[in-house]
Amino acid sequence: MTRSTLLSIALFQAALLAVGFLVSGNNYYMLLLTQVALFAAFVAAWNIIGGLTGQLDLASSAYMALGGIVTSLLWMRLGLPPVVGVWVGGAVAAGLAVLIGIPTFRFGVREVWYALMTASLVVILNNLFRYFMGPWDFYLPNKWGWLYLRPRTYFELFIIVDVVLLAVILVNIYISGSKIGYYLRNIKEDELVSEAVGVDTRLYKLIALAIYSFITGAAGFLQVVIYSSFSYRLFDAGLAISIAIMGIIGGLGSISGAIAAAVVFRALGEYLRSTLGGVIPGLDLLLYGVALIVVGILKPEGLAGLFNQLRRWWRK
Amino acid sequence: MSAPDVVLRVENVTKRFGGVVALNDVTLSVGRGEIVGLIGPNGSGKTTLFNCITGVYKPDKGRVFFMGRDITGLQPHEVAKLGIARTWQKVRPFRNLTVLEAVTTGALLRTDSVEEARKTAVEVLELIGLPREEWGRLGSEITLMEHKLVDLARALATGPKLLLLDEIAAGLRPHEQERLAEVIKKVWSDRGLTIVVVEHVMRFVMSLSKRVVVLHEGRVIAEGPPEEVASNPRVIEAYLGIKPV
Amino acid sequence: MSVGGLLVAVLQQVIDGVFLGLFYAIVASGLALIFGVMDIINFAHGDLVMISAYFVWLISTYLNIDPLLSMLLVLPVLFVLGLAIQKGLINPVLGKEPLIQIAVTVGLGFVLQNIALGYFKAEPRGYPNPVFSEGLSIGPFVIYESKLLSAAVSVLVLFLLDQFLSRTRLGLAMRAVTDDRSSAMLMGINVERVYLLTFAIGMVLVGVASGLWMEMGQVWPYLGTSFSLVSWVAVALAGLGSIRGLAVSAVIIGIAESMGSLISPSVKMAVVYLIFFFILWFKPRGFFAKR
Repeated sequence: MTRSTLLSIALFQAALLAVGFLVSGNNYYMLLLTQVALFAAFVAAWNIIGGLTGQLDLASSAYMALGGIVTSLLWMRLGLPPVVGVWVGGAVAAGLAVLIGIPTFRFGVREVWYALMTASLVVILNNLFRYFMGPWDFYLPNKWGWLYLRPRTYFELFIIVDVVLLAVILVNIYISGSKIGYYLRNIKEDELVSEAVGVDTRLYKLIALAIYSFITGAAGFLQVVIYSSFSYRLFDAGLAISIAIMGIIGGLGSISGAIAAAVVFRALGEYLRSTLGGVIPGLDLLLYGVALIVVGILKPEGLAGLFNQLRRWWRK
Repeated sequence: MSAPDVVLRVENVTKRFGGVVALNDVTLSVGRGEIVGLIGPNGSGKTTLFNCITGVYKPDKGRVFFMGRDITGLQPHEVAKLGIARTWQKVRPFRNLTVLEAVTTGALLRTDSVEEARKTAVEVLELIGLPREEWGRLGSEITLMEHKLVDLARALATGPKLLLLDEIAAGLRPHEQERLAEVIKKVWSDRGLTIVVVEHVMRFVMSLSKRVVVLHEGRVIAEGPPEEVASNPRVIEAYLGIKPV
Repeated sequence: MSVGGLLVAVLQQVIDGVFLGLFYAIVASGLALIFGVMDIINFAHGDLVMISAYFVWLISTYLNIDPLLSMLLVLPVLFVLGLAIQKGLINPVLGKEPLIQIAVTVGLGFVLQNIALGYFKAEPRGYPNPVFSEGLSIGPFVIYESKLLSAAVSVLVLFLLDQFLSRTRLGLAMRAVTDDRSSAMLMGINVERVYLLTFAIGMVLVGVASGLWMEMGQVWPYLGTSFSLVSWVAVALAGLGSIRGLAVSAVIIGIAESMGSLISPSVKMAVVYLIFFFILWFKPRGFFAKR
């Protein structure tokens, strides 16, 4: 890891924690900040499959919900503390993801089928869980503590989420500089060339998918903790698409761009929802859609490309 | 030729696309250390043959042997692992990788260490003589000639025994073609490679290979030393309309 | 339920599934045409049907005419809209990485959904005074006039489309581009123009689909999502290049979905998804593909 990377991570963490301290007196802002940080973590995890590998995965919320619900059920039914349960939740999510990746990542199968498989996975799991769980909210037990990853204050919860976010960023950076990262970036550039220089494209795509879905599944429980409950509505197609959108707007493969997009758009979306949401529902999502079209057509390098351009312009 | 000296053997390979027969019962052998030219007009099946050898396509009939081993139907990455590398007819640009990164990826086939792979990549880039200041450029920032050299370097970095060059001279100016031919000869002698060159620019092939195979409409129609093949009436007929330069 | 009763219920679902499938065939044919000719991955296809269905609903309630008549008024609008979308959104991303294409069309779908949500609100809208609402009883089975009429229109439109693709100059050009883009260019086909018209015709099919849907049901902002999914599954099942193959695939999916809803409406999509999964596993190029 280079000094400048290390420095930017340190600065980002310092800023995030500073904001955390500043708003720690206000529960609403604290919760909002925690939400934004968790969202950023999901986007950062998505970056591994979407940004680095170039596979449009639209099932983020499915892995999140599945991991979160498995962890919650293990706790409620079997008494397994979530601090252990999240690993199982992550593994279950990764298992399902790999099952979908195996047919769709075959050499010569077009990208569209993977995008579609994952997009519909969210819808299907939503329907199936509604069928089996019913429309109800299931509340977490009244137990609090680190063992349950469910601290008493929002500030402590924010710290947990922040640690997860930091971990995901570090995983991204580690992968980027390793053999896997080289292979993933090559797959994104050109699958045929990758195969010809000896990259087992399906294997490496599956590795990326497994890492991403494991992280997303394990972190999913934190989403349940924020709500204190879970229902079939956790399988949210809109959320999954939003996560992918942030990764794309951020500039595929750029972890800083992805996180910047996640923070800016989520905060903006939250603001729009709280001010105009009653008048114009869906305005925040409309904005995401417009941003996606604009970025896709005009600036496929996304925010990261914009940053680079500004940097060059600044140096002149 | 005794078996161990045959690096590549293609036996009765047939490949159809829908109703079109792209390769029709093609048989050929390539000996160790040879540079064989594979020529033929556009659409004669040259690239399809490469794709059948490297596992991009599976032949409908026939078998492909590499160093005596049956590699028919293997996945492209498995073929690469065994030691067959190739370059591409159409430039396949890499937009977001640097030259050095692209070549390093090739070298990662033989090692898990990025450091080591980078060393191999540096060696190969020096061997083909790409100036050091180009190494940090992105694929979108280099010329066609540089692309061809990087493509070659990336293939070499995988540590192949057999190198397949698919119309590598296409689109280059004559002096660039000459330089490329020099580079190919250099890596051939330096690495002790076996090379198959697909071209429809006859002159380029003649400067490189002592033996030429001619494909036409998916069949081998002639084989032999370049001068002999160039005067073969069947070859001239096949090339009619395409000037044999 | 007795065995006989169950049999009747199952057969009734099969009948309804065929009707549903014929409707899906229209939705999927627009998608397949655009995908085949332009190689563009359109994820907003279902959402375009949804928006068009709102147009149909507006005209029908305003003029108090049957949705199938409103549909005729909507078709020219969609043709023009198709030209505009093709020029503004699709052309700039033609030939780009699939991910960028998908991103732009997903963005378009998101925009359409949320415009609909903001303007029409979330509750489903349907034409309040349908003319063909009677159910015809044939033995133990019930067939609704609206479905029968829609099915007739579907078959007619599919037939016309098939004739168009095999008889007219433009249709043949479209097929030539689907089969082999570079040769088509060499043969002197104006590919730009073919693209433009293909998208516009695809949008006309979207318009037809929306009219058929409003004849049978209601529209809400998220209606399009499942249409997109189902039509892609139909394309996966059929492969490209044959309208008949596509129609058969769409009907198979319609029947499967209908049978699934016999268990519960919330598992019907899961049935479709499973089919999709197995197609990709065993036959990733489709069953009716010519290539």
